[in-house]
Amino acid sequence: MNAWLRLPRSWRAYTGIATRSMQNTLAYRLSYVVNFASSFVLLIAMYALWSAIYAGRDELAGMSWTQMKTYLIISFISNSLLSYYSESRISGKILDGSVSADLLKPLDFQKARLAETLGSTVIEGGLTAILTFIVVLSASGILKPDFIHSLLFILSVLASLMVKFGIVYMAGLLCFWSTGSLGIVWARMAVTSLFSGALVPLSFFPDWLEKLALVLPFQGIVHTPAAIYLEEVSAWGALGLLAVQCVWACVLWLCGKLMWSWAVRQITIHGG
Amino acid sequence: MSFIEIRQLTKQFRQAVKEPGLAGAVKHLFTQKYVDKTAVAGIDLDIEEGETVAYVGPNGAGKSTTIKMLTGILIPSAGTISVGGIDPYRNRMENARTIGAVFGQRTQLWWDIPISETFSLLKDIYEIPDAQYKRNLDQFIELLGMEDFLHLTARKLSLGQRMRADLAAALLHNPRTVYLDEPTIGLDIAVKQRIREFIRASNKEHGTTVMLTTHDLGDIEDLCNRLVIIDQGSLIYDGTLAAVKDRFARERVIHFQLQSADLPALREALDHMPKVTAEKLDRQHVSLRFDRFHITASEVASAVMRCGEVVDFRIDEPGIEHVIKQVYEGHITLDEQHADKETAAGTEASRR
Repeated sequence: MNAWLRLPRSWRAYTGIATRSMQNTLAYRLSYVVNFASSFVLLIAMYALWSAIYAGRDELAGMSWTQMKTYLIISFISNSLLSYYSESRISGKILDGSVSADLLKPLDFQKARLAETLGSTVIEGGLTAILTFIVVLSASGILKPDFIHSLLFILSVLASLMVKFGIVYMAGLLCFWSTGSLGIVWARMAVTSLFSGALVPLSFFPDWLEKLALVLPFQGIVHTPAAIYLEEVSAWGALGLLAVQCVWACVLWLCGKLMWSWAVRQITIHGG
Repeated sequence: MSFIEIRQLTKQFRQAVKEPGLAGAVKHLFTQKYVDKTAVAGIDLDIEEGETVAYVGPNGAGKSTTIKMLTGILIPSAGTISVGGIDPYRNRMENARTIGAVFGQRTQLWWDIPISETFSLLKDIYEIPDAQYKRNLDQFIELLGMEDFLHLTARKLSLGQRMRADLAAALLHNPRTVYLDEPTIGLDIAVKQRIREFIRASNKEHGTTVMLTTHDLGDIEDLCNRLVIIDQGSLIYDGTLAAVKDRFARERVIHFQLQSADLPALREALDHMPKVTAEKLDRQHVSLRFDRFHITASEVASAVMRCGEVVDFRIDEPGIEHVIKQVYEGHITLDEQHADKETAAGTEASRR
């Protein structure tokens, strides 16, 4: 961030990357539609599963069925923001050696990847938001928060994107030490969906697991935006949660930076 | 201090040793054994600004590894590099601003957006001023003949088109140094010539320093005034192309087509000429191999003309290909000082 302030000129390089990434995403529109459709199917499956669990009950772990439905949609939004495609692009660069082309450019690798990710998120996230909005309007019994919470919710979704990027970026860099990305990506996804609350709300966890989840960065991805949207916290409380997210985003960014400078030393691009 | 200064540059790669079979694979899980493979073994090289250097060697000699260290992608295991006063690895970003690179085997273009968009992205990345960008782009499009495919995405380009676009992308910001790793690999002769002309023009106009690896000797002959040969990680020759040729491509073959000939007289005349051997000798065709530092072509020709009626003749010069192949195969060793002395002696001999 500091470098950006010092060198406002170089902003253009990164905004340029973000715009080209949007174009790239549009080129892959079919793949996006398929991706979106498949995660939508998953949403419906989750909906069916939870409605069965809630049958004959008013409340589970302090959450009503209405809250649960809303929770599912929020979890769906935050999961679709940073697609699998963005994630595999980082690890793919490392695995196929095209990271060398990035090293030839006067660009910071991490910032360039963030610009790329944000660029495709604008397109993908925009589409997701519109589609989800339609769902929210058409479905009955979905909660809508007040103005302050809505605003804070949007901010926390943006912060959750940064947290998720931090995690995805580091998982991608792990590919410097492994020759396949699938295992890493799956492990990352499993850990993230468990601890972020994407799979099951954190309040359903046993006490010790919930406590653990709350001190890890993953909760910032789904749990925090959901808590704000569902007005489980006051506006001040929400600001506090937002601050925690931002701290995590910065910590993860710095860790990613360190990891990169270490990883790049290990680099052995094939062919000699 | 030279523009590019390489001192005792060394790169070792660690390679895992796996024993064969399942047992070996299991064993590797617990005890990993590695060997260090030396790709580049203590190279010293000085290159001045504006030079065009061919960096040549057989596969696996360490060419690409050297180029990767010069561009800052790989860290040297030992030794130092300075390119225009910058250490490419330590100051990768700073170095990257002043260099352009093409790795023939791998594209740097964005795969799914039109080539023209890649160019305008590069304008943003290198902060190329509008006027310079427009001038360069127009010139490149014309020189490389790119107008037909500028609107296509990189994935749709043929190899020749892709290589031209890659080259344009690497030179758009007027880099001071250009590294080209096999820029003409797999291309047809027309595209090759376009690319060579383009590189030559850039070198002439902007004084760009060019370092190029290639297996195509046409590239060397057309582009480079200096030849550096590397084998097994060490430099084995550094000098001009002409010197290599003078030393190792001294033999010529002259072919005559004759109407009539006095063969016995010709045979006798040949015996008196030094270092001339007959490849073919019959009434219609005579082919003679000679060392051009010991006897001139005209001396050979006049001897043949005295003994027969010459209808036509031509001279074959051995290609530099032939020479470098011999070097690779270890038939001749190029010792720089030795070579210089020999060449000097040879030149003197040819003057006589």
